Amino acid sequence: MKHFWSKTYNWINERVELDGLVEFMGKKYVPVNSHSIWYYFGGVSLFLFIIQVVTGILLLLYYKGGDALAFESIQFIMSKVQFGWLIRSIHSWTANLFILTALIHMFSVYFGKAYRKPREITWVTGMIMFFVAMGFGFSGYLLPWNELAFFATKVGTDIAGAVPVVGKPIMEFLRGGDDVTGATLSRFFGFHVAVLPGIFTVLLGIHLLLVQRQGMSEPLSFDEERPKERKTMPFFPNFMLRDMLLWLIVLNLLAILAVFFPWELGRKADPFASAPAGIKPEWYFLFMFQTLKYIPGKVFVFDGEVLGIMTFGLGGLLWLLVPFWDRKSSRGERNRLVNYVGLIIVIYIIILTIVGWIV
Amino acid sequence: MNRILRMMMCIALVAFVSVNALCAQDKCLACHEATVGGQPVELFKHDVHHAKGISCAGCHGGDSKTEDMDQAMNAKAGYIGVPKGDDISKTCANCHANAEKMKRLGSNLPANQFQNLQESVHGRLSTNGKERIVQCTTCHNAHGNVSVHNASSPVFALNIVKTCTKCHADAAFMRMYNPSLPVDQLDKYRTSVHGMRNAKGDAKVAHCASCHGSHDIRNAKDTKSNVYAANVPSTCAHCHSNSDYMKEYKIPTDQFDKFSRSVHGVALLKKHDLGAPACNSCHGNHAATPPGVSSVSKVCGTCHALNADLFSTSPHKKAFDDRKLPECETCHSNHEIVIATEKLLGVTSEAVCSRCHSEAQNTKGYAAAKAMRSLIDTLESNEKKATELVNEAEQKGMEISEAKYKLRDAHQARLESRTMVHAFNEGRFRDVASKGLAVSASVSEEATKALDEYVFRRLGLGFATLAITILAISLYVFIRRIERRQSKGVQ
Repeated sequence: MKHFWSKTYNWINERVELDGLVEFMGKKYVPVNSHSIWYYFGGVSLFLFIIQVVTGILLLLYYKGGDALAFESIQFIMSKVQFGWLIRSIHSWTANLFILTALIHMFSVYFGKAYRKPREITWVTGMIMFFVAMGFGFSGYLLPWNELAFFATKVGTDIAGAVPVVGKPIMEFLRGGDDVTGATLSRFFGFHVAVLPGIFTVLLGIHLLLVQRQGMSEPLSFDEERPKERKTMPFFPNFMLRDMLLWLIVLNLLAILAVFFPWELGRKADPFASAPAGIKPEWYFLFMFQTLKYIPGKVFVFDGEVLGIMTFGLGGLLWLLVPFWDRKSSRGERNRLVNYVGLIIVIYIIILTIVGWIV
Repeated sequence: MNRILRMMMCIALVAFVSVNALCAQDKCLACHEATVGGQPVELFKHDVHHAKGISCAGCHGGDSKTEDMDQAMNAKAGYIGVPKGDDISKTCANCHANAEKMKRLGSNLPANQFQNLQESVHGRLSTNGKERIVQCTTCHNAHGNVSVHNASSPVFALNIVKTCTKCHADAAFMRMYNPSLPVDQLDKYRTSVHGMRNAKGDAKVAHCASCHGSHDIRNAKDTKSNVYAANVPSTCAHCHSNSDYMKEYKIPTDQFDKFSRSVHGVALLKKHDLGAPACNSCHGNHAATPPGVSSVSKVCGTCHALNADLFSTSPHKKAFDDRKLPECETCHSNHEIVIATEKLLGVTSEAVCSRCHSEAQNTKGYAAAKAMRSLIDTLESNEKKATELVNEAEQKGMEISEAKYKLRDAHQARLESRTMVHAFNEGRFRDVASKGLAVSASVSEEATKALDEYVFRRLGLGFATLAITILAISLYVFIRRIERRQSKGVQ
């Protein structure tokens, strides 16, 4: 057996020079410190993305786009297709866990100042991937064409439509018309399975390439320690195997969620029905949704909703550009302000999400 | 006694003299009688208004005390001539809408007649846009008004149908404001028990105003109308539930109470389902007459068409006809029709079949009733069992919407089988019931499969968790081994 593997390795090595890669990976080290746990969330996010791709492709085998068939096809997947229920539930749960782990990964990078020079591009690609992931969530939510999804999409695209000047055209582009219809479903399906995966894959490629090329970011305190005191572990096989161990645990967690809390399908969307009471978006949009609810209709001369959307837009942009305005961290200096800002944002998101969930 | 008689005569004399004295003051009447004469003058002399001392000027204005025609009929003296259009009713309302004035004149008539008229369909609608359809004089005439209890009054019970049909039987007139309204009400009315008795001089029976009201007549679709579907039973009950009033007719007076308890009454009066029948749905309205033995199934069959069709081709049809039994009523009763449940079918003590079919005398019918009841019971219990299984699977989070949808078919089959009972043919009944049984069986099978799948999923998760745990532990041990080897290597 050993002979077979070495023969296979040699066969590939002769053609693509695997030795260089193995040597490169063997020399890669991951810093070991009290915050090392956060390094794993990038890997877990990657694992969840892979699950999404695999389960998504499997769902594609049976999913039928269009308002007349979408709901029924998901119903068919869940009741007739062998393990269809499992695939669909895992896809839905993974989508949520993926956003959660990506969120944790993003904040760990932020608080660890891992975005500082020379990793600005890694941060920017990661952030754009996060926005794309939210787009995945928003577009995928509509695909079962059920009541909740239909009205959540209506509300969501309405909010987009409130943006001054470009809002209306964006809303019409997203909806494929004035209202949420079968045309919207077709578009969202296209975004979900073609446009967004294409963009995401390119960004992911760059992101992973940069991570491999630049290695794991070391905390600022790492530089203060003497070289001998710096603890590291080889990326391969140590970190990778630990990563895989975590992946196994996540896989089991997903299976438990899918079996004990199968993702409900609800009722088929009826464009002529009135919106069900207490309609809410997915949890990762809740803090924004809840904030917009609290903003008064008029703030001075500005429309409250527009002001809220613009503030979130500006906040997102500033967040995206943090490596470029946090010059202190890039110089290797401590920047407490960034920490405080991050902390306030985390607390704000958590509180507003909980409030939005309960209210 | 003589003293009382003398006193009464004195009062009568004083009253006669006073009225004559008052009339003597009505120069309009005197002058018109002497010069023009004619019907208005003659009629007015017998008019209740004239008797009360109201002169011509009361309606036409002017000064009735002067003999000078120019002065009497001078606009400055308030002379308006013959009131036209809506002014007619307003002229009447000057007194009739004024309770105090009416009281002073010794009348106990209600003072809301004008208001009622204005709110009525007659007072709100107009055919020419200038005036309302009906003025007071349309029904009461202008001159010669007498009490409603006076047989010469156009609104006296025996005359009112003619008064109403002056317009309502005139197709050309009715076309102007409501072409869809029939104009044969009088013809129909005359075929009804009410109409026939009315024609014979019975003033107690229902006429137009008894049901539709007099001044406050509203469109039948108006919820305030006496003949609005949900109000019809109480309108009929106004007379038919009054045992004193109905005493001489020797018919029961408990119809309304029974109807209120019936499936139809509950639907109409409590659930406000206007599709449910009221009294007139079975008895007719203008041609109100109790349906006889021969026509009762036709009445029920207007709504319960399938049941009636099946019955008419069933072996029971001839049997019932031979025995002169009313078709539907024999099993379902008439006014107090309760919800027909499966209990009506079969050979138990509460079943209606056993009233005629006994095990000893009518073996075939008895056996068929027994078999049909058994089938419908099985159908019900199987449907119930299937529903419970579907609910259980749904509660456990299984996707079972297709089976749940199929449950409707099972329910539908049960309803169909209940209808098919009326064919009184075991074979046909069995065919329909079999469909329902097949659906229930299929739903139960799907729900059981879903419940099995539920168990399988948990078992599968158990095995998967075990496998993943073993793999994770192995991986952990493997990592530790590598790290131990690496640390030894470093040392």
